[in-house]
Amino acid sequence: MFATLASGFEMFLTPLAVGLTFMGILIGMLVGALPGLGPLMGIVLLLPFAIGMPPLAGMGFLIAIFVGGSCGGSVSAILLRIPGTPLAAATLLDGYPMAKKGRAADAIGIALAASALGGIAGGVVLIMASPTLARFASSFGPPEYTMLAITGLFTISLISEGTLVKGLMACAFGLLLSTVGTDEFSTGFRFTFDNPNLMNGFHIVAVVVGLFAVSEMAFQVMGSDLLSSPTIQKVQPGLGSFVRVLRHWPNLLRSSGIGVFFGSLPGAGGDISSFSAYGVAKAFSGSHENYGTGEEGGVVATEAANNATVGGALVPTLALGIPGDASSAMLLGAMLILGFVPGPLMFVQEPGFVGGIFLVYMLSNVFLLVAGIIAAPLFIRVLSIPKAYLIPAILILCCIGTFALQASVFDLLVMFAFGLVGMLFRLTGYPLSPVVLGLILGPILESNLRRSLLISREGYWIFLDRPVASALVVLNVLILTGLLVSSLRRMKKARGGKRALNP
Amino acid sequence: MRTTIKGLLAAVVISATTLGVARAEFPERTVELVHPWGPGNAMSVSQIIAKAMGEELGENMPVISVPGAAGTKGQIMAMERPADGYTVFDGYVAPLLLQPILGNADWDFRDFKPLHAAVSNAFAIGGRADETRWSSFEGMMEYGKENPGALRYSSGTRNNLPHMVIAKVLQSYGVVAQNVPYTQDGNAVKDLKSGILDFSFVNVGDYKADPAAFEILLVMSELPGAKASYDDAPAITDLELDLNLSGLGPMGWTWWIVHPDTPEDVTATLRDAMETAMKRPDVQEAIERVGFVPLEWDHTQYEEILSSVQSQLEAMGNALIWEEEQLHSLDR
Amino acid sequence: MTKRQMEWVALAFFAALVMLVFQQIATSMVEQGIASGGAYDNAASYPRAIAIFLGGLIGIQAILLFMKSRSLDAPVRTEGRGRAIALLLVFGGYLMGLNWLGYHLSTAPMALTVMLICGARPGLRLVLVALGMAFGLAFIFEKILSVVLPGGTFGLNIPW
Repeated sequence: MFATLASGFEMFLTPLAVGLTFMGILIGMLVGALPGLGPLMGIVLLLPFAIGMPPLAGMGFLIAIFVGGSCGGSVSAILLRIPGTPLAAATLLDGYPMAKKGRAADAIGIALAASALGGIAGGVVLIMASPTLARFASSFGPPEYTMLAITGLFTISLISEGTLVKGLMACAFGLLLSTVGTDEFSTGFRFTFDNPNLMNGFHIVAVVVGLFAVSEMAFQVMGSDLLSSPTIQKVQPGLGSFVRVLRHWPNLLRSSGIGVFFGSLPGAGGDISSFSAYGVAKAFSGSHENYGTGEEGGVVATEAANNATVGGALVPTLALGIPGDASSAMLLGAMLILGFVPGPLMFVQEPGFVGGIFLVYMLSNVFLLVAGIIAAPLFIRVLSIPKAYLIPAILILCCIGTFALQASVFDLLVMFAFGLVGMLFRLTGYPLSPVVLGLILGPILESNLRRSLLISREGYWIFLDRPVASALVVLNVLILTGLLVSSLRRMKKARGGKRALNP
Repeated sequence: MRTTIKGLLAAVVISATTLGVARAEFPERTVELVHPWGPGNAMSVSQIIAKAMGEELGENMPVISVPGAAGTKGQIMAMERPADGYTVFDGYVAPLLLQPILGNADWDFRDFKPLHAAVSNAFAIGGRADETRWSSFEGMMEYGKENPGALRYSSGTRNNLPHMVIAKVLQSYGVVAQNVPYTQDGNAVKDLKSGILDFSFVNVGDYKADPAAFEILLVMSELPGAKASYDDAPAITDLELDLNLSGLGPMGWTWWIVHPDTPEDVTATLRDAMETAMKRPDVQEAIERVGFVPLEWDHTQYEEILSSVQSQLEAMGNALIWEEEQLHSLDR
Repeated sequence: MTKRQMEWVALAFFAALVMLVFQQIATSMVEQGIASGGAYDNAASYPRAIAIFLGGLIGIQAILLFMKSRSLDAPVRTEGRGRAIALLLVFGGYLMGLNWLGYHLSTAPMALTVMLICGARPGLRLVLVALGMAFGLAFIFEKILSVVLPGGTFGLNIPW
């Protein structure tokens, strides 16, 4: 292992590679913060540039975009209540209230430090335990993924702001949305209304930008402070937030662990891990009723998790040649172009390259903290612009970002329609995040469920035949029982409380 | 004051005319390549060619991924764009030839203007290295015949080219097996390795990442280069049975095309740029590293080569119907 | 409109969705032959199961609405509503017209109108801000990130 790292040093330590890694962090943070873009878009757009570079310089650039992009979304989530990427949707839950309380500097500082530390924790796992972790996850098949998706859906009830029923309804809405398009099993069209634009369903970014950003702008315009230039305290996140985050070390370690775990599972990404880490942090916290009102722990959990996910996602990508998500799939493609075939053999034949990738990843996270602190005031200046200027600028950004995905004007109309849906949800207290989660987990749930049934020779028993799957079945039953009992208890308590108030 | 205005006017007129002259020179802005699949190896290969072609054109050539409906969504979208040469379509076999044969698209490949052939990628039928039930492709076919419907395999997505070719092979041997669709190719290979699937289509990239894990049972190509990239595993030419598959027929490939109304001079510029790019050794090497094979045919050979593939695919279409009927009769 | 009425609108939205699922299964999916059979061919069973689940939740939510206290009878906030509606109309109209007018013709006027809706004082300064916004962002995306923005029927694109 140390020999791998040492040989990586020689390949990586060139001014070009280090410089490009730093650039990658800045670009990554920018595409992360801009609503509608994200790490995947950044990687896709800059891949042609990166493959013209020496291998590790090019990979350093792309990995830094992945790392920076996974964190950049938090800046806009905290300052503007718009998650720049779905990854930062959970950061919004406590980050925005913190900013509202005048603690924007702390929130951003904590997000940066937690991201960097979570990312480094993910890197340690990547380097130390990657063979074991990857071996464990790669034996998972469709039955295990079906059960994992269900576990993911149950976390919705832990995270949703409204009532349990409303949270579940929003989630079911997301699940239904994910069925729009071509059914990969029957190859039939579902809910496409003969529109070719719907053949692949709604683009998730168009939906998310609409639900969160467009509806937010419509709400902002109802306010009365549109022309005032808000006096924000000089916000300069300092290294103090680093210490602040370290004080949350159990949360930090736990959330990083969750992030690495989900990252190493193909199909599960930073969005699921940040929501799960948030739910777990809330459940473990002594002051869990404060979550959602600006609790530091919430930001630590989500940001540590989504950046640790990057480290986790690199585990199957490097060790097995199986990318965990679309972003790491692009990284894998870039490695092939540069002449490196990810897989067990690469660790034997190209230890220098593998070690270099480890180093690039670690350095990106260090740069994230440095570049973040330097560039944060720039992002914060955006907030001091009067809303009258900011609203049209953000609307244009939403348009260009959504359009850039697949050059489709239809996606813009989808974005607008979901802006209206977002308005309805906000007006009636339905939470928005479960829609996104349902949309992400829906295809994983349906395809793995049906795949399990096709593979099974005795129907649903396949879920109990396999040890890991059956353990997950038991886990899911336990979570469900716990949820029902606690929500019934809460209802009874509310009743009792009301009776005591109005005798 | 007046002279300033006059000067300004003159400047505007001059810049307008230079702009007009510049307009005649194609391309004057970014040319986009519409790619019908999601991010992955195929897209990386298209990016290699697009980057080189962009350099020949003197403009950027970004690749836009528009996946969906077996590639037809991307083709529809590309052909709805103005026929000005600023949109090129990455004409993979699935949207260009296969889907019209299956009745899911209403065009013919002759409707479009070809630029140049891009790449092909052969695939193979692979099993696990530690398989004990059989030791060769023919052995697996015997097992499959004795146990109808027992084998589980994946071709990636349903009704794609590998599915068609595998169904054709299975039909030739009279074997009924259950296809299990996967959206991400990597996951099918993973489930093959962990023992959930009995066999699967394996592309060169998957194989090269971990050759020890697979037993390559049959390389689906008659080209020696394809056989070599699977370390000389048995190929269709080694079977006793003649499957009537030749040339690009059993393989994946792409041939870049533009809208039929694209002006001749613009098409010629694009053809020249692509041909030069495809001939560059650095481009060819980069493509081969991903496990794809660069193709050298230019636009004059488009019709001849694709006609042959089309007739082979039409024959294979029946195999998919055969497989469905057999699976239905097993259900009962 | 009271909060309770608003809640009913939301429930009606979800109910319409459930009905749409069943309508599509009964028409389009039956026609395509994907509404029956096993896991390989049946594309309808999964959305149907979710629609039934959602239907059950709608029922529970309806009962809760009937039982809930009078706090729901307070009217929803109306202040600034005109601005929100105007914004959505302008933005929606802009998006509808984008294919036809193209980005470069329509974006600056849209930005200007939105700023006027927000109550900004009209003037040359505002026009300059709108132009700067529209073309500045276009420059970043078109020049640096190689995105081609919609040109509209006139095919207007800027060769930066």
